[in-house]
Amino acid sequence: MNTGPLVKRVPRLVLVGVRTHVSYMSRSPLEITFAVLVPLVYATLAVYLFRAAGDPDRLLTASVGAGLMGIWGSVLFGSGGAVQNQRWLGTLETLVVAPTPLALVLLPITLATAVIGTYAMGATVLWGVLLFDVPLDFAHPLLFLVAVPVCVLALGMTGLLLAATFVLLRNANALANPLDTPVWLLSGLLVPVTVLPAWTHPVSWALPTTWGARAVHAATSGGDVVAPLLAAVALGAGYALAAVLVLGRVERRARAAATLALT
Amino acid sequence: MFRFLGTARLVVVGGAISYRALFNWTTPPMFIGTLLVGPLLQVFFFVFLGRELGVADDRFHLVGNAVLAASASCVYGGTMAVANERRYGTLGAVLLSPRHRVPLWAGRALPYVLNGLFVSAFVLAAASLVLGLPVPTRALPGLALVLLVAAGACSAFGLALGALGLRFRDVFLVSNVASSGLLLLTGAAVPRETLPQWMRAAGELLPLTHAADAARGLTAGAGLDRVLLGAELAVGAGWALVAVALLALFERGSRRRATLDTM
Repeated sequence: MNTGPLVKRVPRLVLVGVRTHVSYMSRSPLEITFAVLVPLVYATLAVYLFRAAGDPDRLLTASVGAGLMGIWGSVLFGSGGAVQNQRWLGTLETLVVAPTPLALVLLPITLATAVIGTYAMGATVLWGVLLFDVPLDFAHPLLFLVAVPVCVLALGMTGLLLAATFVLLRNANALANPLDTPVWLLSGLLVPVTVLPAWTHPVSWALPTTWGARAVHAATSGGDVVAPLLAAVALGAGYALAAVLVLGRVERRARAAATLALT
Repeated sequence: MFRFLGTARLVVVGGAISYRALFNWTTPPMFIGTLLVGPLLQVFFFVFLGRELGVADDRFHLVGNAVLAASASCVYGGTMAVANERRYGTLGAVLLSPRHRVPLWAGRALPYVLNGLFVSAFVLAAASLVLGLPVPTRALPGLALVLLVAAGACSAFGLALGALGLRFRDVFLVSNVASSGLLLLTGAAVPRETLPQWMRAAGELLPLTHAADAARGLTAGAGLDRVLLGAELAVGAGWALVAVALLALFERGSRRRATLDTM
């Protein structure tokens, strides 16, 4: 089998797909409000709390942490509902019958939700600078600009697993809604994982968000950026691989039972 | 006598039917996931953030967030109680009714008061058990009263937001903004003395602010602060008046422009 055309087509498919879905999601005021408003509220809360704690040196960390929370929120709700949204739009059957593997069709959607989350990162950092005079003194400014997109990529791949598993659950939203805060907590987005009980640490290590956040925070306030970033990508790729396996099974089951279009 | 019974029936039966019909996303898994587990996990997030920063103790975050937990059902429920009538095309039938509007809308808010009370009580009890922060038994009657008043005030606030649904299309955007505003301004998650003066002043006018302070006093063994309870009652009454006035205003406007059911 000649895999050459596929190797060429996949990056194009992903890039065009991400562009399409980012444009589509950016047209919804509700989507943008979700993506930006809640992280801004948390950024404001964090800035006041960090100031009250006499910890003004970490205000940029607080703004960046709130932005990371926004990226996760966007991935959780956007990717979790990716398949369901296509069902509601009536496009799921077309996507499934396309010769391109379903995972490759869904990956741009989940990556797009993570890209939409970067609105939150931009907003919280800008919010901090404009309203609270938070100085933009990144420890590694260039690495920060690398760490954020790579973190987005890792979270987008994680989103693919969410998309794949949530489609199996009839009440996926019931699971998604409370998953926001535990991942913020377990990944150390705003609070270091060291303050959590020891039994939670293995769960934290298994989350790409933990390593992505560690890399972004290290680029912000100092520390090793590359190793946690690689760990985030490796874990994200593992989650994406698991998603491919789950999606294959889901697709076969849905085709056999003729339940693809059923909500 | 018959008139009173008719009004009571409108409030209780009408409210119960509208709750079942309009707050229709609350299947048991959604109720447990979104209204019970989500707020409970939010308590833990703020407790660990508080421990890390040392700005306030566990009890501050536990009680504040437990009171705030009522807002999910009260704000969104109050909004849905009005806006979903329009969305489902039943608003015309409701407003054709010759019944007085105050009991009609008050009945719609009532189930959310009970829902909010239940959610707050659950979150307070479960978080107290997990964190090992017992609530004094003698504080329970006072706490029940405070939580009831808080849920009532918050439902009136939600109904006022719902009234905007008679005029604007994307009212859920407004309820999302309002919900985030409650988190930031009521002092449920951050000590209000750390906020600037204008944010504290805004918080005084919002539901849950005084109730959170009163509940904290009760759990600390200080007894019921009648001034705070009265302030929460006054805020709730104020929002109820705003809701009734806005509902009347927008109803008249919608009739005049023939836009009652226009989406």
